[in-house]
Amino acid sequence: MVTPKTMGQNQRLLIIPPFLWLGVMFLLPTLLVLAIALSSTRVGMPPYEPLFTWDGAMLSIKLNFENLQFVFRDGLYAHAYLNSLKVAAIATLLTLLIAYPLAYGISCCKHPWRSLLVFLVIVPFWSSLLIRVYAWMAILSNDGLLNSLLLASGLIDRPLQILNTQTAVYIGIVYSYLPFMVLPLYSNLADRDQSLLEAARDLGCSRLSSFWRITFPLSLSGIVAGCALVFIPVVGEFVVPDLLGGADTQMIGRTIWVEFFNNRDWPVAASVTVLLVLLLVIPITLLQSRLSKMRV
Amino acid sequence: MQKPFLTVDGLSKAYGNFIAVSGVSLDVGRGEFFSLLGPSGCGKSTLLRMIAGFENPTAGSVLLDGADVTALPPEKRPTNMMFQSYALFPHLSVAKNIIFGLVQERLPKAEIAVRLSDVAEKLQLGTLLERKPSQLSGGQRQRAALARALVKRPKVLLLDEPLGALDKNLRAETQDELVRLQKELGLTFIIVTHDQQEAMTVSSRIAIMQAGRVLQVGSPETVYEAPTSRYIAKFLGEANIFEVASAISDQGLASVVLTGFEGRYRARLPAGTSTVGPLWLSVRPERVELVRNGEGVPGIVEDITYTGAQRRYRLRLATNATLDAVKVNSGGEDFQIGEAVAAGWAGEAAHLLAE
Repeated sequence: MVTPKTMGQNQRLLIIPPFLWLGVMFLLPTLLVLAIALSSTRVGMPPYEPLFTWDGAMLSIKLNFENLQFVFRDGLYAHAYLNSLKVAAIATLLTLLIAYPLAYGISCCKHPWRSLLVFLVIVPFWSSLLIRVYAWMAILSNDGLLNSLLLASGLIDRPLQILNTQTAVYIGIVYSYLPFMVLPLYSNLADRDQSLLEAARDLGCSRLSSFWRITFPLSLSGIVAGCALVFIPVVGEFVVPDLLGGADTQMIGRTIWVEFFNNRDWPVAASVTVLLVLLLVIPITLLQSRLSKMRV
Repeated sequence: MQKPFLTVDGLSKAYGNFIAVSGVSLDVGRGEFFSLLGPSGCGKSTLLRMIAGFENPTAGSVLLDGADVTALPPEKRPTNMMFQSYALFPHLSVAKNIIFGLVQERLPKAEIAVRLSDVAEKLQLGTLLERKPSQLSGGQRQRAALARALVKRPKVLLLDEPLGALDKNLRAETQDELVRLQKELGLTFIIVTHDQQEAMTVSSRIAIMQAGRVLQVGSPETVYEAPTSRYIAKFLGEANIFEVASAISDQGLASVVLTGFEGRYRARLPAGTSTVGPLWLSVRPERVELVRNGEGVPGIVEDITYTGAQRRYRLRLATNATLDAVKVNSGGEDFQIGEAVAAGWAGEAAHLLAE
């Protein structure tokens, strides 16, 4: 294995371009957002005061923590944060419950079928997320496909209000993020060692108990990876709640959008963003170090 | 052999057109150390897996201790298997691996603890119980896998190439330990191996398999000293094989004319072997005696391999075939390359084979 110690000079050079890319395209913008969060609002373009001013003789730095404090004080933001975490948690759980049997089923298939089914899981990526969410609007609306079908079949006598509710948001999120859960689970489950399952059977387990005692615990790393890939982006999800959700789905992504574009309050919007990042980064870092300790 | 404990009756397994095991019948007695020996692809592992319940036979039945277990899934059979890859559960400690099957049986905790400490002591695993399989050496893993199967006290322990992953020294040591354990516990072991030396060392009886069939079953002495075919004679150790031109029965032995050679040679004629029809004579290199001037198959010493304990001579014969002879190094007379010698053998050292 290549460890940093055994890595040659040339190999070290190889990691420079990706890190340069991440630095310019990710770290720098994040720092800019942090800077905006610490400045004050003003009317004009850009709509915030500069952090650093140079009057020819003196460099003055003006840090404004009021925006961050404001985000803490106003219950609206806390509510949006908590609601985002709740929606993300429930949506992640729903996605997991659908994705696990799906990934397990695919991993049990014989060879040509496997690749075909994995391919089918990825196919939706080929069209834009926005188009697919609009399609869901057409399906879920009061005179949409689903309601027409239900009405025609006589199961209901007046259209169900699904669009612009929390339910529509869950449907949209679970649908959009399913592949992110299926793929890590599938790659974990497809690699499972059949001889371990045979050993479990040999030692007295039925098919079901060998699943719970062997397959499931060994797939935990896939579950953690899939949940992280779904949970983290869903917390900040904007498109789905904006298009499918109603007034009751106040999520943090939408709050940021409103602050930026409706209220034109960039410092507050940036503060909400910074807190959102911290809210996600700190627990995930803790979890990661926990997991890496567990592996040793 | 006493009353059979395990009976395999007409067992076959086909995968589509490929027949992995073809009508195998075997009887294994209680407390036997029984080997299934054959080259890779001969169906020995498939046979073992049918006994364990992992493969459904296409035809035939398996009887264990008087009960027909053919239709039982592996978890309901009183057999346990030690896998070639060991198949230790990577997420569980050695102790949890060992008691896995006992927990599944829902045995009382106290009993589980006693059985665990018993087996850990027998297999010197006491200090390793809290480790994960990834923290064990190959030999330690092998012992943990053995412990996990033994602790269930199976009626028959099935071992699929149990020593295949060990290095040579550890192998010899582990062979001895397996034999000691088997005697001590009085269990019935069925081992699958492709290593004839290993089968000879550990087994009470060996079944030699080829292309899905059992060719011969017998004690190590029987299959080595009295193989029933040229294939077995060559597969177990080494054999010099001569084509027989004609043979007559003569005072309990056979008197034989070898194709391409003058004179008559003597060999054992196994019961039931006819002197009519195609026959071959087989003689082991260590039973061949070389003389300078005397009776025997004439040949020229072409090559000598010195291995310390013995010298191996390769003779080129008049028929252009070769003959190997092995002599224990007694420090005495030696032959030179290029020397003309004669190779003979005692009548009971050679035997006739019909196939």
